[in-house]
Amino acid sequence: MNGRRFTTALTVIFAALWLAPLFFSILMSFRPEAEPISIGNIFFGSQITLENYQTVLTIAPWGLHYLNSVIFVVGVLIVQLFTVTLAGYAFARMQFPGRDFLLLIVLLQIMIPAAVLLVPNFATIRDLDLFNTHWALMLPYWGSAFGVLLIRQTFRGIPYELEEAARIDGATLFQVLRHVYIPLSIPAYLSFALVSISSHWNEFLWPFIITRSDEVRPLTVALNQLYQTSETGAQYSQLMAGTILVIAPLVVLFALFQRRFIESFASSGLK
Amino acid sequence: MLKQFARWLFLSLLLLAPTTFAQTEPIVIDFYYPTAVEGPITEAMQRYADDFMAANPGIVINPIYSGSYTQTRETILTEINADAVIVDVAVMLATDLYSFIENAPIVPVQDFIDPLENAEDYTADFFPAMLANSQDMEGVIWSLPFQRSTPLLYYNADLLREAGYEEAPQNNEELIEIAQALTTEDRAGFLLPVAGAFPIWLYQSFAAAYGQPLVDADPTQVYFNTPESLAAIEFMTKIGLSQAEGGFGVGPLGGSAWGDTPAAFTSGAAAMIYHTSGSLTQILKDAEFEVGVSFLPSGPAGDDGTGYGAPMGGGNLYLFNDGSKSEAELAAMWAWVMYLTSPEVQADWGALSGYIAVRQSAWELDPLKTLTEETPQYAIPRDQMAVAVKEFDAYRSIDIQNIINPALSRILSTDAPLSEAPAILEEAQAQIDALLAEYR
Repeated sequence: MNGRRFTTALTVIFAALWLAPLFFSILMSFRPEAEPISIGNIFFGSQITLENYQTVLTIAPWGLHYLNSVIFVVGVLIVQLFTVTLAGYAFARMQFPGRDFLLLIVLLQIMIPAAVLLVPNFATIRDLDLFNTHWALMLPYWGSAFGVLLIRQTFRGIPYELEEAARIDGATLFQVLRHVYIPLSIPAYLSFALVSISSHWNEFLWPFIITRSDEVRPLTVALNQLYQTSETGAQYSQLMAGTILVIAPLVVLFALFQRRFIESFASSGLK
Repeated sequence: MLKQFARWLFLSLLLLAPTTFAQTEPIVIDFYYPTAVEGPITEAMQRYADDFMAANPGIVINPIYSGSYTQTRETILTEINADAVIVDVAVMLATDLYSFIENAPIVPVQDFIDPLENAEDYTADFFPAMLANSQDMEGVIWSLPFQRSTPLLYYNADLLREAGYEEAPQNNEELIEIAQALTTEDRAGFLLPVAGAFPIWLYQSFAAAYGQPLVDADPTQVYFNTPESLAAIEFMTKIGLSQAEGGFGVGPLGGSAWGDTPAAFTSGAAAMIYHTSGSLTQILKDAEFEVGVSFLPSGPAGDDGTGYGAPMGGGNLYLFNDGSKSEAELAAMWAWVMYLTSPEVQADWGALSGYIAVRQSAWELDPLKTLTEETPQYAIPRDQMAVAVKEFDAYRSIDIQNIINPALSRILSTDAPLSEAPAILEEAQAQIDALLAEYR
């Protein structure tokens, strides 16, 4: 019993630690700009104000940036789902020469930091004449080594007999995927989608380097504007208001998704 | 037959299209600008671009917000490395000159100034202190000042008056005297924002005020290990040391953090601070007391012992040409640069952004003129131009900053006691000289 109480206490402490940044971001965003946080004065300050949000809303066309972020994230995810399914199946179930070597190359991709590929990717996009377009944002992310590995492992865990049974009934490869593998791997797809969406929603460096106009730039690049007051000092209140605006959809999505995620996980376990 | 003719016509039209369009197609100037201060910067840039385009049909200005100075530099270097230079004109640090001369295809603006009828008057209208970082040893001007700033002393005039001081401190002794009089348990008498990554900017003001600026016109020389430098660092360190430890006891040990200092001042937690002129607007807006602004107090240098040493800071306009640009494109780039540095635009830009307008004649124009009449604090950074010094720049400047900043931080934070300072300076100087040896 004591052990359990200890575990609970530890969980609460860690949860509080994780929540602290979000909590203080929200506090700061409603705090008057002229009142810095100081010792003994860390809450809302003298009053709660919406002024920071009003100021932040005037500095960029946020609607456009939201749209760009959604296009970017969804555009990447749709193609990724397609590529990781096919590649995952190939690596899990097909026999062909060089398979293990190819898998090793896919694995290597995880180990190369994205920054190293910045210059070659930039040159490629320029050669393809896609600079400063939505395509340029998405293209480098269409293959996902993490996704391929995740789906491969999931597919390998599905009894081969199910595929055989479908084949005997005359199913083609795509029908096997559609009716056997994919339905049984929904939890894996959901967790992959979650990771993909959040990482691309938060992606900064590539969108920043490859785009030059508001029509294409996602939220992170717009938010960057608020962070760059290096000379005069940080306007934390506005900074946090902007940050909350940018992360809000993700936080909401996560809260909704988490439930769905657990449900689907449970239901597939029953099958 | 008719179908074939139509196809032929269509094809020939396609072939003709590029040549016909080439004559009417406007020249597009991609203009990168970073921001380092708060304010409606993006809006202003678009307005300048629109005004310029209205007056110059055939040129399209594409203003691109490019993040911080560092991010802008990364973007430009990525383009250069990928052999796909997109940038035409960019605002970058005035102190990027020698790294650009070495690594980027910049064109000296001198090439465009020389053919001007009034070339000499044109150049003379820029504050000389601002041009110091634009010129190489031969005096060739490579970039034009655009958004420049300089550190100032901000003081809480109400507090000073209460303590019996009618005027701002004129020299370092008075600075400490007043700071000590105003230091209480919950208030620092004076905050020197040198904690953190970049103490080099304010260090330069002390080094110059003690008689040996960190750099001169020679980009292969850096003067870090000097008696003046040592005296300057000792003074800076003592600001944070308590009186029991032999210091002045007027601020936190190691100085304050750059970004937090203005808020500490406006909220009353500090009576006096050093900060950039770029913060003036925000400080005036936030403070509920009379804000005094003055030159950085002088040090012991010079015959009469009034060595001023405020360094310049901020960004200049650079022109890029990877060899692909036509005369017409270069002329359009120059026209845009000339427009941005014109007295009219500078008078607007200076009032709006808080940067120091770079043309002396701009200060006679509105809205800047009215602003300085109504808020005389804005005239102080302009007046300080007369005694301001060149900001640190040299070959390998980023590498050298990465030597000087940690060395300064070690001493200022008292991680290393002051007695070790001579050895730290000597070691840093040796590393700097090793880097610069091949350029001499």
